[in-house]
Amino acid sequence: MAEHTIKSPLPGIFYRRPSPDAAPFVQEGDTITPGTVIGLVGVMKTFHQITADVGGKLVRFLVENEEAIRPGQPVAVVSDEV
Amino acid sequence: MLEVRNGGFETTVQDYPGRIGMLSLGFAPAGPMDDYAFRFANVLVGNLPGTAGLEITAGGLVIAFQDERAIAVCGADMGARLNGQPLELWRSYLVRAGDLLEFDYLQGPGFRTYLAVSGGIDVPPVLGSRATYLPGAIGGFEGRKLQAGDRLPLGEPMTDPAQAAGRRVPASLIPSYSGYNEVWEVEATRGPQADPDYMTAEDMAFFFSHHWKLDAASNRTGYRLDIHKWQWARESGGAGGGHPSNILDNGYPVGAVNVCGDQPIILCIDGPTLGGFICNAVVAKAAMWKLGQMVPGWSYIRFKEVTLEEAITLLKQQDETIHESNLERS
Repeated sequence: MAEHTIKSPLPGIFYRRPSPDAAPFVQEGDTITPGTVIGLVGVMKTFHQITADVGGKLVRFLVENEEAIRPGQPVAVVSDEV
Repeated sequence: MLEVRNGGFETTVQDYPGRIGMLSLGFAPAGPMDDYAFRFANVLVGNLPGTAGLEITAGGLVIAFQDERAIAVCGADMGARLNGQPLELWRSYLVRAGDLLEFDYLQGPGFRTYLAVSGGIDVPPVLGSRATYLPGAIGGFEGRKLQAGDRLPLGEPMTDPAQAAGRRVPASLIPSYSGYNEVWEVEATRGPQADPDYMTAEDMAFFFSHHWKLDAASNRTGYRLDIHKWQWARESGGAGGGHPSNILDNGYPVGAVNVCGDQPIILCIDGPTLGGFICNAVVAKAAMWKLGQMVPGWSYIRFKEVTLEEAITLLKQQDETIHESNLERS
């Protein structure tokens, strides 16, 4: 089993939901494909989507919802074992 | 011509000092957030310091060149590569038709970086400037940030690109940027509404000593700082409004610290030109560049009080520093 981390290219606030009332983009354990949106980074009053660059099972998130993140920081772990 | 392959997160055409003299008509100056790096990039490629170039925020820009030009990148490290080879910051290079310049994301402290091209970006001036004013959607390239497929015309170089290439800014003149969770010291004068008429002496002492956290929701319009319970010198704003931070609407200086109720907001170069809140301090013009390299959500600011005379001296020193005679051949 190989593990891969999804990184945020931007600093800002990490959000797991498209809006405060909506369901999270993905849950831990979900199967994702390259391009799946896993969260948003809010900075400068704009929101940028964080997308998976690989497919597999999203094993776990490494940052909390609404946590401040740095550029290049890993935000989730993906396993190729679905 | 510059061909944009990827616009990155927020890349705009800017010039310096921007659209000045238009505050009374409601136009902020716009221009580069870090004018120190911007002007030095221009000087490196043989342009006048204010020539139109690109402001690259947080990275992601990819462009292809179609002419022989001198280029320089100054500011935050975004892992820039020219044809796959790492590009040194604060140094000029010669590029040729077909060369590819790519920026990754931020690799360390700082938030913006600047690309100057000999001859400059020759978009049409609007109200006397090529600077992009995003809230008004004017200037720059179609009044907006760049996107893939944009083709930017270039001006005629003033000097031979081959001669302008191969120069660098000496290490002593390259500023060091405060890192994540670190404090930037920012020179500021007392503003038009400070103590004793609007705030108390204790309020101002707190203002000049506190480490203010920069909110993630900060951009070229305004930099939001911490909420603070001020003492205030007045019970209310009188004719200006119910809260003691209210005044009758008046013009705002660029770089003003505008206190809206409990929240101070630095009005940046795309900021509002007038309003009805007090301004208890104004960032010295020579310190405005520091705002451009702060990371929203991560940087802290301590305001260092300077007199108007000291602020003017700082500006004169800065203007003299950003000069071709200070460059080294590399």
